[in-house]
Amino acid sequence: MAGSTTDGTALAEMILAQGHSSYAPWLDRGPHLDLVERRALPEVRAEAWRHTNVARWYQAILEGSEPAREAHRIENPAEVEVVDFADPRAAELQEQRGEETYRLTAQPIAALNALLLGAGIAIRVPAGCAAREPVRIFDLPAAYQRVLVIIEPDARIELIEEPSTYTHRLVEVVVRPGGQLVHRRLQAASSHRECSLLAIRAEARACYELSQLSLGSDLRRNDIIATLAGNAANVSLRGAWRLDESRHLDNQIAVHHQAPGGTSRQTYRGVAAGRSRAVLNGRIEIAPGAQQSDATLNTKNLLASDTAEIYAKPELEIYANDVKCSHGATVGAIDAEAVNYFRTRGIDEHTARALFVRGFLREAIDDPDTAQTLGLIQ
Amino acid sequence: MSLLRVEDLHVEVDGKPILAGIDLAVDAGEVHAIMGPNGSGKSTLANVLAGRPGYDVIRGSVTVDGEDVGTLSPEERSLRGLFLAFQYPIEIPGVSNMEFLKAAVDAHALARGEEPPSAVDFVKRARVAAMRLQFDPDFLKRGVNDGFSGGEKKRNEILQMLILEPRLAVLDETDSGLDIDALQIVADGINAFRANSNAVVLVTHYQRLLNYVVPDHVHVLAGGRIVHSGDRGLALELEERGYGWLDD
Repeated sequence: MAGSTTDGTALAEMILAQGHSSYAPWLDRGPHLDLVERRALPEVRAEAWRHTNVARWYQAILEGSEPAREAHRIENPAEVEVVDFADPRAAELQEQRGEETYRLTAQPIAALNALLLGAGIAIRVPAGCAAREPVRIFDLPAAYQRVLVIIEPDARIELIEEPSTYTHRLVEVVVRPGGQLVHRRLQAASSHRECSLLAIRAEARACYELSQLSLGSDLRRNDIIATLAGNAANVSLRGAWRLDESRHLDNQIAVHHQAPGGTSRQTYRGVAAGRSRAVLNGRIEIAPGAQQSDATLNTKNLLASDTAEIYAKPELEIYANDVKCSHGATVGAIDAEAVNYFRTRGIDEHTARALFVRGFLREAIDDPDTAQTLGLIQ
Repeated sequence: MSLLRVEDLHVEVDGKPILAGIDLAVDAGEVHAIMGPNGSGKSTLANVLAGRPGYDVIRGSVTVDGEDVGTLSPEERSLRGLFLAFQYPIEIPGVSNMEFLKAAVDAHALARGEEPPSAVDFVKRARVAAMRLQFDPDFLKRGVNDGFSGGEKKRNEILQMLILEPRLAVLDETDSGLDIDALQIVADGINAFRANSNAVVLVTHYQRLLNYVVPDHVHVLAGGRIVHSGDRGLALELEERGYGWLDD
């Protein structure tokens, strides 16, 4: 198929012809199938895919190049429940997750995930759990995968997504009142074309913190939808990316304040070198009635070559009148004065730039443990 | 052979002549002070010695231990024992002092054909230097000059000098903006560094620092040339009479 253009219609027809996956039959695929039947997959010119050629990802789907893998590779503390989606218990947990505030069923990419799904796990952290060991996801044995995470009230845990290859991974997180999830994910440099969708619902006083380091791939798209669904919820999204060669990373991030008194913090640092392309669309939406919301988005970016491209666009949509909201986006070059400073201390230019870039990324990933986990400390 | 020899150095910035024929010889064990009014070329001289980009050497030479360093990069000069304490040290958020110093020390060790020090040995050494410059113990974890006060930045330059043990230290207005306590700490650091094997060039506006760090030679730079040289008495005279009388 190399060189041919693949549109959503062709892909929809292929899926309808071959039939959807029979894995996790309890999963309600009705709305997803409906979306595909209406041929509503994004076209190449779709606004949401403005900076990423969706046809190249469709092509990866059609080629199905993913090697088959044996089993899940997950580590978890004993008190945490981990269930394969093939197990009927997963259906119960899916049912318990409750209202789907982020409207996954309207997401075309989520539809592809549901229809082609080959692996899934549900993770439930019981109420009040304070496990010290993290849950670590290394690998799921299919190209289309799902992770459902439920943090019950007042439970606290850390979730680490280790580098892994997939065509699409959907992670759904529900943090119940007073619960806390510290989520770290590392996306290593790769030659794959892959998409991920992370949907979070933070209920009253829940706290969700994401730290993510992405090194780009042939094509990588990260969608994040965070919803502050309960009063005084707290969401922190921290992202750093460092791209080189002709790697591509497209971040589409939306934070919805739907209840009063919520706080959201978004901090992103990105560096693009070589002929790479980095995209950040960061959107803050404050619903009517979500008074006293406090939302910030801050992104700084460095262009490390003349041929790299960076697109950074914050967006605000505010329907409440008593809120604090701010955003800022900058794109600049690596500070030549700083590089010279390193060099006058005997550090060669290449190392100087690398140290500078790592320091810059650590402005987003500032917690030492996280920086360690994500490999930002030597 | 002089440790540093500057001969007939002419330098331009963006086509504008700044240095118009500097001659200077600094021997091991000596401290030279370079004084002069604003715009006389003092900082240009300091930066040119360190190999900072953006300065065009039109004529003349700079040799360190007999080696012409004119075509060497800033890092190569550093590895040959040249150190510049910046007038305005750069802030580098996210890179800790520890990382920065270790990278520098490792580069110097490798250039000498030695193994870089272990992290433990290095931290010990850095802590001693930090204590001497009266930094808090958390100094090593802080970002390089990030959020430092003016005095802290200058003390950090001296700390780097003590750790890197250069052959020649060029201190560009390290005394400016220091209160009397910080000036004393900086001067103590410079005096601790002084040895028969190394040399110091102090670029300064004021003779105040020279009360603490007594120079062997004092030079006055004006209009891009050294117009007068003398001993410590010259600095005192300058303080009393200003620079005007030198034109006569």
